[in-house]
Amino acid sequence: MAGADAAEDAVAATDRVGIGWRPAIAAGLYLHLEAFDVIEVIADNYLRATRREIDAIKMLARQRPMNLHGVGLGLASSIAVDRKRLDRVARLVGLIEPEAWSEHLAFVRAGGIEIGHLSAPPRTDATTAGAIANIECATRIVGTAPQMENIATLLEPPASIMDEATWITRIVEASHVPMLLDLHNLYANACNRGEDPRALLAAMPLDRVTGVDLSGGKWIDAPSGGRRLLDDHLHGPPDEVFELLTELARSVPQSLSVIIERDGNFPTIEVLLGEIAQARRALAKGRSLRAANFMPSIAHAA
Amino acid sequence: MSAIGLETFLARLYTDSALRSSFLADPRAASAQFDLTAAEIEGLAAMDRDGVVLAVRSITVKRESYLRPRARSWWPWRRLIS
Repeated sequence: MAGADAAEDAVAATDRVGIGWRPAIAAGLYLHLEAFDVIEVIADNYLRATRREIDAIKMLARQRPMNLHGVGLGLASSIAVDRKRLDRVARLVGLIEPEAWSEHLAFVRAGGIEIGHLSAPPRTDATTAGAIANIECATRIVGTAPQMENIATLLEPPASIMDEATWITRIVEASHVPMLLDLHNLYANACNRGEDPRALLAAMPLDRVTGVDLSGGKWIDAPSGGRRLLDDHLHGPPDEVFELLTELARSVPQSLSVIIERDGNFPTIEVLLGEIAQARRALAKGRSLRAANFMPSIAHAA
Repeated sequence: MSAIGLETFLARLYTDSALRSSFLADPRAASAQFDLTAAEIEGLAAMDRDGVVLAVRSITVKRESYLRPRARSWWPWRRLIS
């Protein structure tokens, strides 16, 4: 029966693919809205928005399931989350009523200094406990748990006592939150550490993954030689990232909502639609492999 | 002292070019001026210098974009909705 149940799960998964809503390409995206199952909107762009801007996003949220994606709370920190910022996010979530909201496993400020970028904190017991406390606070204030996303880092955080996957797993499991797995962030971190991306994927808390982000980057030269992969969101996802999506869809039973993210250097809408189609094919391939893996079990049971 | 001190030091390292220059020249001496434990100073001294330089370049680009006023380019698609 276990095999049959798993096969049913594989078939029942209703995966969705959508896109990151960015003002610069919003008109083009809106004209092709039927191509997207789900939309991701950057929450921080609307924290000080006018009533008309809010109404427009709210109307969009009525037409497509929306993830309101935060970048400014800095929840993965030993420093308590800024309540004023959190209250603004809670108010926005209340106004827009998105299907889900999300934030990053990053810190963005400390000691009164705004970094202006998602930064990896030291992976210690202190930041683990701080992240858990901040996520619990955010869940309480906003009213729903955020999906928490792994970040890319060109720099291994100093004084860390655990690896990335262990640190993430401890936080999302103790917080009982879903995970938004950014596969390009994972791929870039693995490449830059000389690790196998598939092994890093397998080490993540995959049972908690409900959302997936796909983006791209470029290789840059390091001052002392060698190269690093920069996640810049200015390029399309590489084939290796789509292969990781296939592997993820093969590995988990739950439905996945996949977002293609790009923050600039926008291509034509046809290119973006091509990336959407490629993500659908990658998911379908993974689900087929998953179903095929369980078919012998069903035949044997029968 | 604390993890808070380490995060604060990192935030300053990423945004303060004078501190960064002294840190890259002598990480132990630069970090010893802050409220950090010996283990944290050793951790900082062991940081990958290339990683610091590249991360700061990336942060600087994002930071400039973050500080720039945002264009209100939502209007065209909002007209499509209404």
